[in-house]
Amino acid sequence: MSRLPTLGDQWVVIPLLVLLVCTAITIIRMRSLMAAVLLTGIYSFLSASWMLLLDAPDVAFTEAAVGAGLSTVLMLATLALTSRDAKPPVRRPWGPLFVVVVTGAALVYGTLDMPHYGDPDAPAQRYPSPSYVERTAAETEIRNVVTVVLASYRGYDTLGETTVIFTAGIGVLLLLRGRARRMGTREREKS
Amino acid sequence: METVIAVLSWFCLVTGSAFAIIGGIGLLRLPDFYTRMHGGGITDTLGAGLIMVGLSLQAGLSLITVKLLLILVFSLVASPTAGYALAKSARTHGLEPWKREDDR
Amino acid sequence: MFAVTMAAVLVTMGLALTRAALGPTLFDRILALNMFGTKTVLLIAVVGFLTGRPDFLDLALLYALMNFIGTITVLRFLRFGHFTDEPEPEEP
Repeated sequence: MSRLPTLGDQWVVIPLLVLLVCTAITIIRMRSLMAAVLLTGIYSFLSASWMLLLDAPDVAFTEAAVGAGLSTVLMLATLALTSRDAKPPVRRPWGPLFVVVVTGAALVYGTLDMPHYGDPDAPAQRYPSPSYVERTAAETEIRNVVTVVLASYRGYDTLGETTVIFTAGIGVLLLLRGRARRMGTREREKS
Repeated sequence: METVIAVLSWFCLVTGSAFAIIGGIGLLRLPDFYTRMHGGGITDTLGAGLIMVGLSLQAGLSLITVKLLLILVFSLVASPTAGYALAKSARTHGLEPWKREDDR
Repeated sequence: MFAVTMAAVLVTMGLALTRAALGPTLFDRILALNMFGTKTVLLIAVVGFLTGRPDFLDLALLYALMNFIGTITVLRFLRFGHFTDEPEPEEP
């Protein structure tokens, strides 16, 4: 099944990316933080749809579960401990804007050197990717090569990542729950 | 028989998308939060339902149709629940409905 | 005909996004987020058919679940101020 961008693909991808940019601009301009968190949920839905169009359903699954579900919940729990509105900016951010523009221009200049999308001569395609694709059917029973690479050929990497993320999640939950309970007790003692 | 199914599914798809757009326009133009929920409800039930039925007519009897109908059933159960919870939460928060005397 | 449906779903997503950006109250934005989620489910289903790969329907089912749970969580947070199930101590 050819996955080169056809005319049909562009008509979906371009509006999606335009919606992404509009969402990002709205998030930046929003003064209410809760609204910004909800708009971030919308942004996650859009990015996951776009990743799906790029033929990466595993990444899209993760983006949906983490971005639209978990991240929104954690942000809201954090908002319970701080204020609900962003403070107005103190002065015009010309310095940071200059740094961002220079860094962005440098990155875009760097991408001009990258190989084309799906180029068979790209360094990523020459080694070891073809060997993974060739060996998967012979050595495992699983049909999805990405899953096989993540879980079998590079299994230790996945184990390390899972440990790191699990620890981070437990730490965040402990921080949020403990702090909220103490703050609740303090407010009840005051009244 | 093939053309009947194709015409039927085309009709369902176009009607479903029309309802989706009508619901979206309603979301923008209606005056109050409680009235805007009608717009959301239309897209969730009629819009999604007709589009899913149209797609499953295209797919015929296969696993894809089962999945589509499963999504539709779940959506029909979850979407009114979420809408009810939203309305109740807005009411306990003290949001007043729009009355005809209000100048909007 | 899939292109028509896809265009309609994209337009509705844009309208929902406008409501999420405008909506004066917070509940407007939650409603827009909920509607955006259901539109994403439809978009995935239609695009799956358009590109000839309807295997993405599992992802659409996941999105429907995530959307529902996300909306209920936001509402629960608004109502109670926290996510835990601990009962508040009774006022003396």
